[in-house]
Amino acid sequence: MALLKREEWQGFVRDVDWSYSYVDDEAVYPEWHSGTGKVPRQAWQAWEESYKVSYPEYVATQREKEAAVYAVKAALQRSSAFDSLSEGWKSATKMHFGGVALVEYAAVLAELKMARFGLNGSWRNMATFGQLDELRHAAVTTFFGHEFIGKDAQYDWTQKTFHTNDWVAISLRNLFDAMMTSANVVDIAIELPLTFETGFTNLQFVALAADALASGDVNFANMISSIQTDEARHSQQGGPTLEILVEHDPVRAQWVVDKAFWGSARAFAALTGPAMDYYTPLEHRKQSYREFMEEWIIDQFVHTLEQYGLKKPWYWDEFLRGLDIWHHGLHMGLWFWRPTIWWRPMAAVSKDERAWLTEKYPNWEQVFGDKWDVIIDNVNSNNMEATLPETLPWLCSTCHLPACNATQSRNGTWRVRDVQLEYDGRIYHFCTNGCRQIFWKDRDNVNHETVIDRFLAGQIQPMDVGGILGYMGLTPDVMGDDPDYEAWTRDYAGRVAARPGAAS
Amino acid sequence: MSEPQLVPLNAIFATDFVQILVPVTTANTMAEVAAAVAHHVEGKRVRALPYDKVVIYQGERLPADMTVAAAGIKPLDHVTVEYDIPEAS
Repeated sequence: MALLKREEWQGFVRDVDWSYSYVDDEAVYPEWHSGTGKVPRQAWQAWEESYKVSYPEYVATQREKEAAVYAVKAALQRSSAFDSLSEGWKSATKMHFGGVALVEYAAVLAELKMARFGLNGSWRNMATFGQLDELRHAAVTTFFGHEFIGKDAQYDWTQKTFHTNDWVAISLRNLFDAMMTSANVVDIAIELPLTFETGFTNLQFVALAADALASGDVNFANMISSIQTDEARHSQQGGPTLEILVEHDPVRAQWVVDKAFWGSARAFAALTGPAMDYYTPLEHRKQSYREFMEEWIIDQFVHTLEQYGLKKPWYWDEFLRGLDIWHHGLHMGLWFWRPTIWWRPMAAVSKDERAWLTEKYPNWEQVFGDKWDVIIDNVNSNNMEATLPETLPWLCSTCHLPACNATQSRNGTWRVRDVQLEYDGRIYHFCTNGCRQIFWKDRDNVNHETVIDRFLAGQIQPMDVGGILGYMGLTPDVMGDDPDYEAWTRDYAGRVAARPGAAS
Repeated sequence: MSEPQLVPLNAIFATDFVQILVPVTTANTMAEVAAAVAHHVEGKRVRALPYDKVVIYQGERLPADMTVAAAGIKPLDHVTVEYDIPEAS
């Protein structure tokens, strides 16, 4: 008997949407998990993924990918490749391992939720593969980071980060719990596969892979490239879901996309921005963060919006202006509060690096140069105490990142401004108007408390820098510090401190 | 007279790049509030200028001897501290 061709059997083996006789549909697909909302239940019958895969095909392909990744790892394990990596690049990888490993695990839960509560059999089938993908990503990322613990204790934060109350971890938990853990599956499919995985993971997994190769980290480049090949497949769950939602509830579709894009943009400004524009050695930088964002995110996102008949988000102008500011401010914040992070941030503001920054970001010197000059002069006069924090940066009540986004006044000066609102008897502060608007629209959601909230509520004891670092899980052996102060201060050694306001 | 109460503030100092947490008390004067905010920034990220500092709260410049309690500044309120630079003549 001849075997059926795939297209002859694939349709009906995926069609597992049978009618229930002992329970009603709501019991199987409760609204709070399935989230059909205003979309008629039968509308989901039209859901269809564009690229179909069978289980045997999936296993065969994944097996090859795994074999390739581990073969490279095994070969490089015996070499001294790791020892020749720059401290800046190592920091980019520590940030990635700690920031990503357990997010991949959270994504397993999100895919499992779609595999169970997705409103079409094809969707649930695709999500089943998706959760296997994410399990592989969580495992490979954790395993690759684990290898280096013996050489550098900061790599222990690959697995540890998400189990701590470090402010970076809380910020990421806040974003991904909203996107993956607590959302219904319709919102998950639009926030995670469509907005986050189709767009932003390109930035971390494709663009950073290029920097990894240039920096000599073949192993890391190989790992994240392998992960990205899975994203391309399971991210397809977003398109068919959005298509149906737009048809029946375009207002909700627009809101879910807008919110997920903004949250992702804030997180990547903190993680990928400094890695690309500061930690990657100057000679190995392929493009600036802004250029990557324009090429990989913005063009594609705008195309996606047009494709589905959606508008640009209400915050679009603020987001575009932020491309020149957000990640530079966050880099300075990560550097100044360096004892609170699990990597060694390079300030990377030598004269050559500043020339590159100014070429890529013409306002950089005006907005950030004067602050770095004060820091540089303190380092050069051995006044290190002045380069360390004695209080907390204010953390935004929506993104949990430091509120450090200067905007330009009509007279041309740049200032950080307070953005606040009063709700339910208390004042909340935000880093941007976008974060304030999202907080307001989502105000009845249960959000994580920021480290500032926790500190003021007396949850952090003693109420001093030592207490804060202890609460965040930082121990002296892993606390971040600049790996090479001289590298970026020697250009300025011996200069008379610049007069305030004088052009440098 | 009651004991001074802790008033944690959201503060921005002049041209600094970030908002910061600064605890003051209801008994502190604006001169002391300005100094408390400046302590974390001046000479650390913002070059010191030879001018007095002024606290701006809800768009108003507050007198240096006014207390936090008298100004009605509450916990979690925002203040900006600026150098009081004379207008160029």
